[in-house]
Amino acid sequence: MNAFVLAETENGARELCAGARQIADEVTLFTFGNAVTGVADKCLHLQIPEDAIADDAYPSVNESFDASGAKVVLAEPTVRVTSLAGRLAAHANTAAVPGVNALKDGVATSVYFGGTGVKESKPETDVSVYLISAGTFDGTQATGTDTVEEVEFKAPEKLAVKKGTAALPKSDIDLASADKIVACGRGFAKEEDLQLARDFASKIGAEVACSRPLSEGVNWFPREAYVGVSGAVVKPDVYFAVGISGQMQHMVGCNDSGTVIAINSDKNAPIFKQCDVGIVGDLKDVLPALTKAL
Amino acid sequence: MNILVACKIVPDDQDITVASDGSLDSSRAHEIVSQYDLNAIEAAAQLKEANEGSTLKAISVGPKKADDSKTKKDILSRGVDELYLMADDSLADLDSRATATELAKLVNKAGDWDVIIVGDGSADDYAKQTGVQLACALDVPYVAGATNLSFQEGNLEIQRNLESESEDIELAVPAVVSVSPEIAEPRIAGMRDILKAGKKPQNVEAAEEKPEESIETVSIKAPKQADRKQEVFDASDGEGLDKFVSAVKEVL
Repeated sequence: MNAFVLAETENGARELCAGARQIADEVTLFTFGNAVTGVADKCLHLQIPEDAIADDAYPSVNESFDASGAKVVLAEPTVRVTSLAGRLAAHANTAAVPGVNALKDGVATSVYFGGTGVKESKPETDVSVYLISAGTFDGTQATGTDTVEEVEFKAPEKLAVKKGTAALPKSDIDLASADKIVACGRGFAKEEDLQLARDFASKIGAEVACSRPLSEGVNWFPREAYVGVSGAVVKPDVYFAVGISGQMQHMVGCNDSGTVIAINSDKNAPIFKQCDVGIVGDLKDVLPALTKAL
Repeated sequence: MNILVACKIVPDDQDITVASDGSLDSSRAHEIVSQYDLNAIEAAAQLKEANEGSTLKAISVGPKKADDSKTKKDILSRGVDELYLMADDSLADLDSRATATELAKLVNKAGDWDVIIVGDGSADDYAKQTGVQLACALDVPYVAGATNLSFQEGNLEIQRNLESESEDIELAVPAVVSVSPEIAEPRIAGMRDILKAGKKPQNVEAAEEKPEESIETVSIKAPKQADRKQEVFDASDGEGLDKFVSAVKEVL
């Protein structure tokens, strides 16, 4: 069986090609980013014209897919590849399986309701298209040749015109790579109390995050700081849940943390069943005590 | 211009609980408009308000319980003129292709249109696929992830953010555009809007036939909970706070 990988970053190409190699005899990589060699049997590279958007490369992608004879498509979930994967799925009379973080015998495991559930699903169609989350496969395992073929951009009949592009500023919140996180919840009665969490976080070199009510209820935090369903999913070494009750909708965002430490004034809060170390107490007493002691 | 906005009616994830067998129970959950579809409705309403003489109709496909009077009113209180809803239990949990096939039927019933706006992704699968599948079903261009959307001299002007760069795009209509949640904060409808919503036209119909699905759902379960030590101190005990601080020191 042949597999078709659709990716735009080098990391994405490596991981997906490594995954494709496990399930297919032959792997074709299609990319409109830099060509990547040594990961697939053939790298098809397409240069997007200056005034076109990559999403409109779908006639070329679909044609290359047809020529490859592949029955399985692994796609990187970037904005543009997600569009192309949808176009390709429609072309192959199927629907793409989204948010895949494990794939075995054609059955994909995906997050459901932002992690409230885990869904297993399987395409019933001739062709299977999967959008694969980063980290699902080990990119160092990818093997392949140095063959690169250029593919021509075939414009669709009606297409978008790209007028300009600009680099985006980097966000100063980086929860994904933080090894310590101090997350604040509804236990903070006043916005100024957050300073206690910030002081503690800066003492131990942690990022400050929040539960949903503090980002979408009262707007004390930007959306990027919110951990949980439809927010960020984090896995630091140490996660402090301060004034967070421990509802499932929050915990799915931090369940993979190394150690979970809870501070809550309600001894019946569900967080105490999901932490390694906890204290029943007022965060206004506990946080300053920690800041002072550490 | 004539604008359509597609939205999904879903159980409120805050009301979903885990049953003793590990399955998810949404039977007591309220039906709501999927969170980011509210941003899509707002973006569509703002586009309508910025272009005099425009119309805005909402389209939605879902199970029978999606035909919920409060939720329908909610949609119609947000600047939407008319609702087209296909509600039928054969339309529950459809994959993106089947959803797009059914939405396309509603699009054809909703009259002339220039642009169809869809949200970033729905609360359940967050597939980001229904918009592009709908564009394929209707054979029109598609742009994903708009953070700004306007209509100038007959074209859509779109800004969007990719992973590390932004793009300015011009797109001729008709087209399908998915919008990023940050494009517009959903409005809070006033009492007058809610009262007026009750009088706006609603076209609710059953499915013509069960659509063909491409993906089979094998199982849906709650995620496994991590095993934790649960060493809990009490600050009201004399030494509770000190012991807790020592335990934290050990972890760090």
